[in-house]
This record gives sequence, structure tokens and C-alpha cells, in this order.
Amino acid sequence: MQVKVLSARFDIPDAHKIEVAKENGAYATLEKVFSMQPIEVIELVKQSGLRGRGGAGFPTGLKWSFLPKNNQKPVYLAVNSDESEPATFKDRHILVLDPHAMIEGIIICCYAINSHDAYIYIRGEYTTQVKVLQAAIDEAYAAGYLGASVCGQDYRLDVTVHRGAGAYICGEETALLESIEGRKGQPRSKPPFPAVEGLYGCPTIINNVQSIASLPFILTNGADAYKAFGTEKSPGTHLFGISGLVKKPGMYELPLGLPLLEVIEKVAGGLREGRTLKGIIPGGSSTPVLTPEEAQTVTLDYESMAAHKTMFGSGGIVVLDDTVDIVKLVENLIHFYHHESCGQCTPCREGLGWMLKIVKKIIGGNGTTADINLLVELCDNIEMKTVCVLSAACTMPVRSYLNKFRHEFEAYVKSDVSCQTAM
Amino acid sequence: MAEKVKLFVNGQDVEVESGKNLIDAIGAVGIEIPHLCYHPALGADGNCRMCLVGIEDGRPPLVPACKTMAVEGMKVQLDTDKIKKIQRDIMELELINHPIDCPICDQAGECKLQDYYMEYDGQKSRMTVPPVAKAKHMDFGAGVVHDQERCVLCARCVRFTRLITKTGELGIVNRTDSARVTTFPGRPLANRYALNVVDLCPVGAMTSKDFRFKQRAWFLAKSESLCHGCSKGCNIYIDHNKEKYKDDIIYRFRPRLNQQVNGYFICDEGRMTYKLENDNRLNVAQVAGKETSVNEAVENVRRVFSQAKKIVMLISPNCSLEQMQAVKKLATANNAVVSGYSDGYIKTGDGDLFLIQDDKSANRAAFGLLGLDSSKAGFESALVEADLVISFQNDLCRSLDDADIAKIQDKAKIVYIGSYKDGLGEIAAITLPVAAYSEDTGIIINADNILQQYDVAVRKNDPAIDLLQIVTLLGGEFKNREEVLTDLSATIAALNNIDLKHIPSEGIALTDKEVSNVAA
Repeated sequence: MQVKVLSARFDIPDAHKIEVAKENGAYATLEKVFSMQPIEVIELVKQSGLRGRGGAGFPTGLKWSFLPKNNQKPVYLAVNSDESEPATFKDRHILVLDPHAMIEGIIICCYAINSHDAYIYIRGEYTTQVKVLQAAIDEAYAAGYLGASVCGQDYRLDVTVHRGAGAYICGEETALLESIEGRKGQPRSKPPFPAVEGLYGCPTIINNVQSIASLPFILTNGADAYKAFGTEKSPGTHLFGISGLVKKPGMYELPLGLPLLEVIEKVAGGLREGRTLKGIIPGGSSTPVLTPEEAQTVTLDYESMAAHKTMFGSGGIVVLDDTVDIVKLVENLIHFYHHESCGQCTPCREGLGWMLKIVKKIIGGNGTTADINLLVELCDNIEMKTVCVLSAACTMPVRSYLNKFRHEFEAYVKSDVSCQTAM
Repeated sequence: MAEKVKLFVNGQDVEVESGKNLIDAIGAVGIEIPHLCYHPALGADGNCRMCLVGIEDGRPPLVPACKTMAVEGMKVQLDTDKIKKIQRDIMELELINHPIDCPICDQAGECKLQDYYMEYDGQKSRMTVPPVAKAKHMDFGAGVVHDQERCVLCARCVRFTRLITKTGELGIVNRTDSARVTTFPGRPLANRYALNVVDLCPVGAMTSKDFRFKQRAWFLAKSESLCHGCSKGCNIYIDHNKEKYKDDIIYRFRPRLNQQVNGYFICDEGRMTYKLENDNRLNVAQVAGKETSVNEAVENVRRVFSQAKKIVMLISPNCSLEQMQAVKKLATANNAVVSGYSDGYIKTGDGDLFLIQDDKSANRAAFGLLGLDSSKAGFESALVEADLVISFQNDLCRSLDDADIAKIQDKAKIVYIGSYKDGLGEIAAITLPVAAYSEDTGIIINADNILQQYDVAVRKNDPAIDLLQIVTLLGGEFKNREEVLTDLSATIAALNNIDLKHIPSEGIALTDKEVSNVAA
């Protein structure tokens, strides 16, 4: 089931070094790129159907075409390497194992959108990754792929690595821009959208690492070769991080559209002996959970996930078996989003902390049915009332656990009631 | 006039100004959209989420009104169940970690959380878990005390120090419900406008060290007036209260919006000048150092006035236009010389580019309008042969040193008719207390030639006589203020077309030409 498109050079020793990467095809497509018109590059990416790999799945080529026409200001590219969503661990492999694929992708993207300055916003905790990435960028400068004249062309491109300071919210694209500009990482109100008014008030495209790293393959082999993988609406391949209670957790590259359960069984080795499936988080912690029944019919693509009222997300699949305490999982989940709320908007700032305390109260045996109902209501009260979707990234999955595993919450509440009557 | 656009608010046609956000545009026609973080002087931030409104057929259908411009044909929904529920939900979330200590909070009575709770919330608390604990009564410097638990993190104060004073002392640290407003270590609030954050704060998080715990807001009468701290003429509210068995006391000044004068703010020094109106007042008349009745002092003034051979009338640049005109006419009728000499009222270099002026008097521009000389040379030449100097509110001690004053005293008797225990009041042969501006009505012209009127705010149990009355008692031609106004309109060209009896609240801008024409 596994394929080698993005991960083609992952197994080659020292592929993070430019000589090895070049021997294995890196930067080979740039000559072709520079013979094309920027608009042709955008068209090709549009035709490939590549969708943003950060989680939202917005078509990449279409995003680029939102840049204002007749623009006089500089255009920036910001590569979102702030991979921090729990259960998501795909971009880190690209950063360490094949950084030149991403740098090549940056050159392609910048040429297409006429940008001469790219920023890579990398998660602060990625200390190993940032070293490898910076070394690769230095190599690319030395080899003439970056700098005043890219590939000998009359085209300047500078790439700057900006390290985050450890806030999940800086993966939100406008908070990321605020952070690069040196301010507290807090999302901006939209509109204006970054494509019109982004970094330093200039048109800015923000793409995920994996989206960018997918570009060399598309430019080399054409849109059809890319579309040969995946489904009609979800073409291509994706790096899936499969974790949780499976025999072989890990990062696997797969074409989109495969049946979820089959992937868990055949790729990730299935559940441990004697265990039964309780649920599956399909695409990172912020995606609503799937029950075993729902999982039967789900395939790993955007449309199937949407049809099952969840999201494809970032490809971070977490498998939950019967040993998992859903209420404690929810506590952990809210703890994360509460801790990572930037504190700007009232509902998220105050509401997530309240929800966390209520769940702790339930786990502590002091909860009531009213508390469970209040949790459900708070999900509605908080969701989509804020500047960004961080609060929704918490309330959407929490609501799914409350709806699909309500009996587990009630068990905590009822056990307490029996204790009280016993006393 | 700004262009108008037609909106539909709750299904009704409303015509509003274009180019404004929905809060201001719809607010101008009397429909409130609740909001905490938005302030017209600080712009939209969008963090409180209290102003979320529905836009029928809108994309998106739910928008923050502070960030949404009024556009022709927009269908704004405020009264739908959905919007009402959002307002209630946001209020609930604002209040879960709020201490609800209204009984000991200075903001009570003028608190947006209280107002909005009554208007948009009204539900019982569902909070069964402990609230977030934060720091209380933090001294932020400049007389500002902060309570982090009451704070709704609207960031108005933070934006004020960044956008208005550009001093940036305040910031929000930490994320999530640990977020709090604070200062940098060892870097307290230190700007001359800092107390405006107390007014800007929609809740009780920012309180004034000077005002806190002195009065409940609902006991205070809020009278419109003009600050006399400098020549800017900032519009203020005088908040005062006459408690039972006590006198009418001023507890604070607050800025009052006037876009063509001071906008939304006033400086801290001006704000604190309220203390001069309460304390440091000249309350008793004195003749030759002995306390007398006001009547006796007036008789004494009349006597020295009629016996004097040559009189200099020294007028203060803080006197109103009417007072100046009355004194000027009195002087003309008695062959006296009027001088506005008051160099000591000017603190060169003290002003800034925002509100604070070098000139610490309120009405110097009127000297020009009335052709009153305020030069030192003019005053000195007037003193030659003079045997009586009557000062109307002018504290000559601010402009001259003791030796110079002594020289004047050698030759002439000094009479001081004023409101404050100034230097001159201490040494004058006769002192006569008169009403201060907070107890009087008058017109002043500010440094930008904007003519404004202040009215009686404070009514003392034992009201001081007003200065115009004294002038009348000394033989002045005007029986009352109306007569002075009529005379001013008739005789001062710049005021010919101005109805001084009905001055609009925002004042009247006199052109430089008008003012200089008359002065020349």
C-alpha cells in the first residue's frame, strides 16, 4: 500500500546533504520551471489538484491565484513548519530526511507567485530539525540555488528560517505572521486575508511543508502523474502519522483514498492481541472521533471524511482501543487547547478553562449530569465565536466524544451518585 | 456631510453615515451594539466578541460589528434569538472568572459588565468550579491601580499607551486565562495622560488611586465644564456631590468628548486641578490682615477705589471673556489702566504636541480679542504714579519676585479679588473671595481660538459672590452677564455674528483673521 513520492529519498543515507540529494534528483526540475511562465506553474499546480497539507485541505494552486493582480508590493512566502497538533508528525520527517525537497519546492512556489523572500516558520521545539534545515539552506545558497541569482537566472530568492517560541497558535497562519513580525502570536481578524494583506502588510502565501515538498514531483512528472495517486477530489499522496494502540505505529506515505481500517490493519499492524477497537481519531487531535462502525466505511480522503462529519486534517491517525478512558482523553485534549489558547478572544480564553475544570470535576467524582450537559452547551457557545478556529479545534472533537461516548461520562457521574448514597 | 447609506437593522430601514463601522454607524441613530474592546479613539480590536451581529445573506453570516463597515443594503440582525444567545453566552464567559465584587468596586454604577449583564444576560451563575485567581490592587504607577481579576482583557489600556501616548508601558502577558495586563518590571506607567486608562477601562480593572473608595458613582452629579489647567480648554465632566449636612465637593474631573478640542482625553495634571477647586480656596475676606465680612471688605474696596488717584486693574488670563470686558469698561470709566500681565502663568517648554500647553491659563486668547495689553513693559508703565492695584484673580506673585512686589507695595495699595489662596492673596491689603469657575458661568477662548462656555457646576452652601457682581458694585455699567454678552456682540467685530447666549457644546472656532482684526 505504501508509495514513495514525498518519501522517495527518505531511505537514502545522507539524503539531507545536497550532493546526495542532487544525485537522487533534487533540483533537477528547476531548469524546466524557469523555462515556464509563472502563470503556467500555477496552472500546473492547479491541474494537479494538490490540496494544502496543513489540515484544511484548501487547493494550493487556487490559493496562489488569490494574490492581487497589478500588485506593486513585495510578495512573501511563509512556509508553515510549526507542526504542533497532537498526533501529527509528518513535516518533521521532511525537514530532517529531505530538506532539499522543501527548498526546491520553495523555489518553485516563489517563482510562481513572484516572491523573492521566503520565511520558514519552524516550531521552536524542532531543535534537531532546524539545524538540519539551516545546514541544507546554507548548502543551497553555496550551490547557487538560493541567493542573488537562483540557478544563474536573473531571479533573487532569500530564505529565512524563523524559529517559534513554542506556541501552538503560531501554526495559525495569521498568528504565524504576527510572530514573524516580532509580536505576540495572536491571530488576526480576517478579512483582510493574507493573500491580500499578510506579512508586513504585503500579499503573502502561507503553505505547509508537505504541500511545498510535493511541488518538485508535480513539476517533474506533470499533473497527471500526481493525479494517478489518490481520488478525483483528493489526488496525490500523503504522509500519514499513525499512532495510538497499534502494533506498528509510525509515519507512512500512502496514496489518498485507501480504506482506513485496512490501512490500520495492513500498514500499522492492527490492534494489539485481544484488544477491540473503541474509536479512531482520523487527522490530528482536532478532528472529531470516528466510532468503529463509522470507521468501516471511511476512506483516507477529504470527501469521505467530510461525509462522515469529521475532517481529513493533518493525516495524524490515532487508534483507540478498549483500554482507553475517553473522559481522561477529553481531559487531556482540553488541557492542550486551553493551554495553547492565545487568550485574545473571550470565549476561547475563558471557556476552554471552564470546560477543563468541569471535566476534572467529573473525573474527580464530583460531576453531575448537569455538568455533562453544560459541557455540550459550552461547545456550542464557544465554537465559531472567535477570531480563529483554535476554539473549534477543541470543541468539535470534544462534542464528538460527548455525543458518541456519553455513557463513559455518565459512568463517572453515576458511580459518584452511588458512592454518596452508600455513605 | 458624510455620505449616507441605507441599512436594514432588525428589518427596519435605517439611514446611517457611510465609512463607519456598524457600532458607530448604528449607534449614531440610537441602536446599541454592546461592545467592550472597541473604542472610537483606539480602533477595532475584535477580542471581546460582544459585538457579534448577524448579517442576513452575509458571508460570513456572523461578524464582529467593530470590524464591519456599514454598506448600502446590509441587513443587520441584532434581535434574533441566535444573536441574543451569543450576547448572553459571551457575558457568561466574561463573568465566570470575574470576582463580582461590585459592592467594593469603584466602577459599580458605571460598569459595562453590570450594564450588559442587566441588558443582555440576566442568568444565574452556572459556575461550580473555582475561578482563576489573579493579582489584585497592583500599583501601576501614575496613580493607576490595577485589579487583574476584574480585567476583561479588552486591551483598551494597552492600545492607549501604544497608540495615543506612544509610551507602551502596558502589555498583556501569558496566554489563555492566565493572560493579564501588566507593566514591565521596574517600568511603571509614566506618562502625563496615564489616568485616561481609568476612564477607558470598561470595567473596574483600572481605578484611580486618588478617587477610589471616595464616592459611589451614582451619588455623583456629573456637570459639564471646561478645564482651566492650561489654554487647551479641554472639555470635562465635573463629578461632584453634596452629601447631607456637608458642602458640595468635587471628587474628580473626567474627560468629555469634544472632537475639535480634546477628543476623548485630558491630561493628568489638568485632571488633578479639581483639588484647587475644593481646597486652597480663599474663603474669607480680609482687610489689613483681619478677617471681615464680605460686605465690609466690599465697602473697603469701594472706599479705596473712590479715593485712589491712579488705579491699575490687573486682570487674570483665567478670567472669563465677560469678566474681562466688564473690568475693561470699569477701567475706562474710571481712567484706570487694565493690564493682563501674567508671564508667570506660562511655563515655556512644558507643553507637548498633544493636549498640554505651555500657557497654564485658560483664556489668554481673549486678551487679543479685547485688545488688552499683557506686556511687562505695559504693566510697568501703568504702575508709574499708581496708588492702587486691584487684581482680579491675577496672582502677580507668579510673575514677579518678592522684591518687585515689595516695591509695588511701597507706593500702592494692593487689593486682591480672587478665588484661591494665591501668593498675592496672602499679602494684599484687602482680599475679597469670589466664585471660582466651577461655581460660575463664563466664556473662554482656547489656544486654538475656539470659543467655549462653561456653566455653574458646584453650588456651595455659602456661595461666593461672583466677580461680575463685584465689578457692578464698584460702579461697573453692566447689571448682569446678559448685558455684558450683548455689549460684547455689539462692540467686538469678531463676535458680531455669534450668538453668545447660545454657544453650541462643541464650541465655535474663531478664525485667526477674526481674532487678529480686532486685536489690531
